[in-house]
Amino acid sequence: MTAPSITTIPFFSPELFERDRDVLLGIVHAVGTGRDQKFILGERTARLERALAARIGAGDAVACSSGTSALTLILAAMDVGPGDEVVVPAFGCAPLAATVIDAGARPVFADIDPVRLTADPAAAESLITPRTRVLMPAHMFSVMADMPAFRELADRRGVRLIEDSALAQGGTLRGRPAGRWGDAGLYSFVQVKTFGMPGEGGVVITDDDRLAADVRMLRNHGQDGVRRFVHHRIGHNSRFDEVMAAFQLHRLAGLEDRLARRAEISAYYSRRFAPLAERGLIAPPEGGDGRFHYVYTVLTDHRDALDAHLAAHGVTAHVYYPRPLPAQPAFAPYAQPGGTWPNAESAARRTISLPLYPNLTDAQVEHIADTVCAFTDVHGGTR
Amino acid sequence: MQKTPSATHSPGAPVPIPFFDQAASFQDHWEGIRKHLDDVLDNGKFSHGAKVAELEDRLADWTGARHVVAVNSGTDALILLLRAAGLEPGDEVIVPAHSFIATASSVVLAGGIPVFADIEEHGHGLDPRAADAAVTARTRMIMPVHLFDRMADLRGLGAVARRHGLTVVEDSAEAIGMRMDGVHAGLHGAGGVLSFFPAKTLGGIGDGGAVLTGDESVAETVRMLCHHGRGGRTLDNFPGISNPTVVPGRNSKMDDVQAAVLQAKLTTLDADIGRRAELAERYDARLRGVPGVRDVPGSLPPRRGSNRVSYVHLLQVEDRDALAAHLAAQGIETEIYYPIPLHLQPCFAHLGHRPGDFPHAEAACAAALAVPLYPDLPDEHVDRVCDELERFYTGRPR
Repeated sequence: MTAPSITTIPFFSPELFERDRDVLLGIVHAVGTGRDQKFILGERTARLERALAARIGAGDAVACSSGTSALTLILAAMDVGPGDEVVVPAFGCAPLAATVIDAGARPVFADIDPVRLTADPAAAESLITPRTRVLMPAHMFSVMADMPAFRELADRRGVRLIEDSALAQGGTLRGRPAGRWGDAGLYSFVQVKTFGMPGEGGVVITDDDRLAADVRMLRNHGQDGVRRFVHHRIGHNSRFDEVMAAFQLHRLAGLEDRLARRAEISAYYSRRFAPLAERGLIAPPEGGDGRFHYVYTVLTDHRDALDAHLAAHGVTAHVYYPRPLPAQPAFAPYAQPGGTWPNAESAARRTISLPLYPNLTDAQVEHIADTVCAFTDVHGGTR
Repeated sequence: MQKTPSATHSPGAPVPIPFFDQAASFQDHWEGIRKHLDDVLDNGKFSHGAKVAELEDRLADWTGARHVVAVNSGTDALILLLRAAGLEPGDEVIVPAHSFIATASSVVLAGGIPVFADIEEHGHGLDPRAADAAVTARTRMIMPVHLFDRMADLRGLGAVARRHGLTVVEDSAEAIGMRMDGVHAGLHGAGGVLSFFPAKTLGGIGDGGAVLTGDESVAETVRMLCHHGRGGRTLDNFPGISNPTVVPGRNSKMDDVQAAVLQAKLTTLDADIGRRAELAERYDARLRGVPGVRDVPGSLPPRRGSNRVSYVHLLQVEDRDALAAHLAAQGIETEIYYPIPLHLQPCFAHLGHRPGDFPHAEAACAAALAVPLYPDLPDEHVDRVCDELERFYTGRPR
């Protein structure tokens, strides 16, 4: 194969906001020199919260310092603490376990569905005990968790449901947006996310007015927003900056187009990769309900070889979660003794993610797909 | 140096004097800020990136700290520092009864129990004798706070810590520029913090903070904790997000946009501190001896071996709430640091304290009023604040 006439395609695009460079500079200048000298949790943040809630028909949206912090605030608002258990997926990002431990509670790891790669409702149900307070499934890569099953399970067993939709903004399932299936959901705005921004931030989504009010209080040191320096609850500093709120308000108009471009690239990959299943490379299906297009992940027994092959052809891939959460040194002490999570372990061995962002060119996308297909010509048939 | 105020106002009304305004100096810094922002956009990593790494180096130079870890707020800096310095669940930490809430809430959020002790009669610092009396078998740490414009009695508190084998962790969130015996605040024990809340002596354009420490293992742990407990290099290294998770951590990463603004502002920090000192002296010269003004900050000399940095100009006044209302009616904003001492905050009601437990903290809260003080504040605004203050107490300006 001849070397591609294309420079290296990064996994994390450094040019996500290139078109909005002047907008960002203008916003920083306007906020810095503005007459109101309001930098945190001001009118811009309030406007962003209203716009985000309206976009998905949610009762409220409460902006905070990150998706991780959103989970922490929700857990605190639900009074989850010592002695409580929270059922989380065995495969996913560290905050799923860390925020639970931070709250003083214990994460209980449920194995995942081998196809969706999200928490298996049956596995979760088998782990419910009298101490279980919350189920916390998470959407993963480009696939929503089985939220109808989790909603039914939570209602039937009388536990709360936190929907970790940190990376799923733009997804819907049965017409219901990601983030609106749980008692509370959230989005992360860290730059790589579908509504990413040039900084850290997140938002809590809920229809529960009391929960929203508690989160508002907890995000700003337990103050009620009326009287400064009176602290009703032990709160956090998890606030949202006005610069980022103004930038997100500006970028909201282009969100649909960027989501559509992501979906287009994702669909193209899936069309190209569908025939590779018989050669041992499993790609997500083209489209379908409950999909969003954050990270495009395929499964292969030859993960490290594919990674090297891509790198040799100018494509940087990334392996998210090379080990399951209960196998992370930080969380092993909290894992159920003797527990096994075969599907999570298999996913951790086999996942590899390809570049997926709106500013990829068609030529880059084709090159990436060609490179993956060429790999299976060599490594195929060994499934 | 004086700057021209940026605010406009309706004709006839007195010119409003905001409690804080940095619009003019932000404009002065704009070329520098823009250059740093262009770097951030060129680099393409917008939190925990190259500009944050650069800021850490600049702050290490400026403070003399061996290690600086930039994070998303002073509060998170305290939580991470407490954990990195070895706080275990159930450990007690002695804190002053008079401070911002984060001094005590950070202890709770780090898994510990805050134990309050009274402050000195003058100067708002944790009283070493009161701290000594608060030590129990479960006490692990002592957290002096350097409030407003001066450092706490680190000599006295250090002696208490040595006597009982306690770790000293400094809440130096307000104390950039303060030094004792040539050593910057935050570097006298296991570590300290900085807050870059916009109104701070070094303020960003949003929330931000840092941990300062001379202890490499404390710094390493804070670095892991602020990035989800991940080991290995994550700063300015995107693929590090898949490094093994070594300890349960948080997301306390600083935005590079904040680092850009802070780096530009750091270039004038010495001059800004000088301007703050001029303004503080101007206030005190006018207000000393005015009936109703019980105390001005300058009446108490800085602690031996240390300097004074006027972050907040906090007066002790009679009839405080009426004075604040009078000033507000004249368009002059003030702040009360703090209306309720920590032991009487609703969130600590479960600790069972009552009014009278810490009389110095309670007295300080009852009479405290902070007047506007920031480098962009023109001299004549100080004079107007003083005129109005005097008019309130005497019925006429001096």
